Amino acid sequence: MASEAITAGKAPPHDRRRLTHLPLWAGLAALTALVGLGLGSLGALLVQAPGVSPSGLWREPYLAGVLRFSLWQASLSTLASLGLAVPVALALARRPSFVGRRLLLRAMELSLVIPSLIALFGLVAVHGRQGWAAPLWEALTGTPAGYLYGLSGIVLAHVFYNLPLAARLLLQELERAPAAHWRLAAQLGLSRRAIWGTLEWPAVKRLLPRLAALIFTLCFTSFAIVMTLGGGPASTTLEVALYQALKFDNDLALAALLALAQLTICLGLWALALSRGGAPSLVAGDGTMPIKGRWQRRDALGVSQITDSLWLVALALLLLPPLVAVVVAGLGGVTDLAAQASLWPALLRSLVMAAGAGGLALVLGLALLAGRGWLAARGRRLAAGLMEGSGQLILVLPALVLGTGLFLLLRPRLGGGWQGYGLVVLVNAFMALPFVMQVLRGALLGLPLAQRRLADQLDIQGLARFRWLLWPRLRRPVALALAYAMTLSLGDFSVIALFGSPSAPTLPMLLYQQLGSYRWQTAAATALVLLATVAALFMLLAWLTRQLPHYPLSNSHRPGAFWSHADDRQEP
Amino acid sequence: MNAKPIRTALGLVAGLAAASAMADEPRTLTVYTYDSFVAEWGPGPGIKKAFEARCGDCRLEFVALSGGVDLLQRLRLEGEDSAADLLLGLDMNLMADARDLDLLAPHQADLSRLALPIDWDDPVFLPYDWGRFAFVYDSEALPNPPKSFAELLAAPDDLKVIIQDPRTSITGLGLLLWMKRVYGDEAPAAWEKLNDHVLTVTGGWSQAYFSLFMNGEAPMVLSYSTSPAYHMAVENTERYQAAEFAEGHYLQVETAAMLKSSEHPALARDFLDFVLSPDFQRHIPLGNVMYPAIDLGEERPAVFDRLIEPESFTFSPEEVQAHRREWIREWLNASAR
Repeated sequence: MASEAITAGKAPPHDRRRLTHLPLWAGLAALTALVGLGLGSLGALLVQAPGVSPSGLWREPYLAGVLRFSLWQASLSTLASLGLAVPVALALARRPSFVGRRLLLRAMELSLVIPSLIALFGLVAVHGRQGWAAPLWEALTGTPAGYLYGLSGIVLAHVFYNLPLAARLLLQELERAPAAHWRLAAQLGLSRRAIWGTLEWPAVKRLLPRLAALIFTLCFTSFAIVMTLGGGPASTTLEVALYQALKFDNDLALAALLALAQLTICLGLWALALSRGGAPSLVAGDGTMPIKGRWQRRDALGVSQITDSLWLVALALLLLPPLVAVVVAGLGGVTDLAAQASLWPALLRSLVMAAGAGGLALVLGLALLAGRGWLAARGRRLAAGLMEGSGQLILVLPALVLGTGLFLLLRPRLGGGWQGYGLVVLVNAFMALPFVMQVLRGALLGLPLAQRRLADQLDIQGLARFRWLLWPRLRRPVALALAYAMTLSLGDFSVIALFGSPSAPTLPMLLYQQLGSYRWQTAAATALVLLATVAALFMLLAWLTRQLPHYPLSNSHRPGAFWSHADDRQEP
Repeated sequence: MNAKPIRTALGLVAGLAAASAMADEPRTLTVYTYDSFVAEWGPGPGIKKAFEARCGDCRLEFVALSGGVDLLQRLRLEGEDSAADLLLGLDMNLMADARDLDLLAPHQADLSRLALPIDWDDPVFLPYDWGRFAFVYDSEALPNPPKSFAELLAAPDDLKVIIQDPRTSITGLGLLLWMKRVYGDEAPAAWEKLNDHVLTVTGGWSQAYFSLFMNGEAPMVLSYSTSPAYHMAVENTERYQAAEFAEGHYLQVETAAMLKSSEHPALARDFLDFVLSPDFQRHIPLGNVMYPAIDLGEERPAVFDRLIEPESFTFSPEEVQAHRREWIREWLNASAR
């Protein structure tokens, strides 16, 4: 849809009036597809349900408890993730170069997309009762390490997933501050507190509402982590109740009600978040001069050297050991890999599906953002917010409801074969959309007004506008967005399990098959292959777009500097 | 940038479509089952080969879902339009619900070959394997496991077990029924005592066994009495054994059934007859790590002789259907504190 807008730019200039509406139509088309399928599947459940009475939610005291616990654990997890992410991000921003910074940033990207089964294995190996950290815990507290089970374990796992995400986004926002500000801060010799007040807090404040909404939603809808580490039915989230209603009890009405409750709570939160604060973006769209080594920050000396080191070491200790545990366990089973005939076809199948889902998510995300930009430029703030918010819809709609609803919509029958794969690709693309949009929006919407006006004056339109104005600032975000979308789809099990497969598993399905048949070693090796593929995808896509495009006209000036998009600080 | 992956995906989709269209030429039986059944090393591939050799011009296609509950739900959603000819993997606790859908046809197989610990005369559901729920323990961490439920409940609190949630897992539901059968009206009190020993309640068996038990998080996990057979036969270790409980163990029987709407009813009945033949059953013991439904004689792997042989029992499928929600609520009330 977005590419339509681009190719259509070849049309003669007198068509421009019509052309300028294309972002809107593209956005509307994406919006219709998303909201149509999302609400359509929910509607299909409601229609099938015999009699829906909202009082069902209150009649069952157990559900009120479930709701309370869901809210409580999600709030705690969000608070902990954000509270810790702020100092970590500040420390990372203050220390633009140290050994291992790149590795740490890579690990931060990885942690978001690891399948929960693998993350759980790593967390248990490190923090469990027999984990690597258990002797230390016992030496310090004198009690056996049981902190992984119960609320503390849930929060720990959610912090493992979400702190890196939050810190990564905060860091980008901090680094987006104009270079002149940092120069001034250096020249004035601002103290740590003054820098916080003038530069850091405004950037953090801009980001916090959306970040909080995103993390809260992710924690609120968490399933495997809460169930495995929760300790018992007292730790039940709405998703578990929904699973029970839909699968075991065949109570479509209750399932739809629970989904509606979840939708209302999370969308309410998103509306609140979107109405205040700016937007985070995973890649700095606005060009800033590299901070690295340019301006001596007074606050980089003294006590902060110690505190920053502590924060960074703590981050590394949180992130790396579980990943190392997965790798160590996987290496133990590597010898079995050669004998596994189904591994490579499964990997290929997963990669093709991930590419489809990634591409689709990218197209949808660009279309929604283009439509949002078009609306916002014309002062339609509410409509613009709605269009952007629709991208988050799938995040709050349980995959199980979406899957079952789609199934009902597509009846009479869904062949076990390729339609199943197609649906999985579609749903995976929807699920990746919130992340894709976070990454792209800074670059797409952050096009400085002056540049846009200049391009308008020079009548740079259509393909040329895309080629010279948009693409240079989009290529890296596009690569990162694609990496996120593809890896999220690569690790997905929840959706593919819904539709079934004709004995041709994807990589995560293969992993579950191996577990279901007691093949622990082989499963660990498969998990390692999955992890390595995810890391390789990130690196490959970053590498492909690392080089600046070749601009024949530029001799003395790099066009990057002219368009001020180049962000060389970004590690490849 | 985006066009290429999409084109590749479309190519794949088209290829798969063509493949499935071609597959329709010979008579094809579509069997819905669960994913570990069709794994490369599971019973599926061997069974497919044996059946296709037996019938000559037919094909057997497995469609893998994630578990028995998903089979039932898929059947509900698809109704008479289902693409399936047969279902493989509904256990006893799902039978009554599946029967009520009125979509299944009698199997007409000769039941005299069955070798189950209970009598079986169901006209629709044909058992293909069975097992007992049991706590598997790590003999290195727990040299003296409890010999009964009573001993487990009375053990010191630091004896931890990992169980599964009856709302999301077959084994979890199995434990719920096991406790109910043993303790009856006293079940809530027994659950309160058991909960002191529960390290955590996972959503599924895989997390419990793989992420936790094999990581040494607790010395006991809820599983099957046949689990040690795999460890002994394939991994050559005696370390993991099942604890035999004096009160007896709850049975799980997995069944096959054919749909009324099958396009090849005769072939589907052939398959059901084949289910109780050695050609099918010999893939069960180590492929599915369960007991075969017939007497395999010499062909049964020797490790199966070293498994515990406790008393076993079940509720009837109708009792489970009638009381499941009530019993789950009872468990919730005893556990959700």
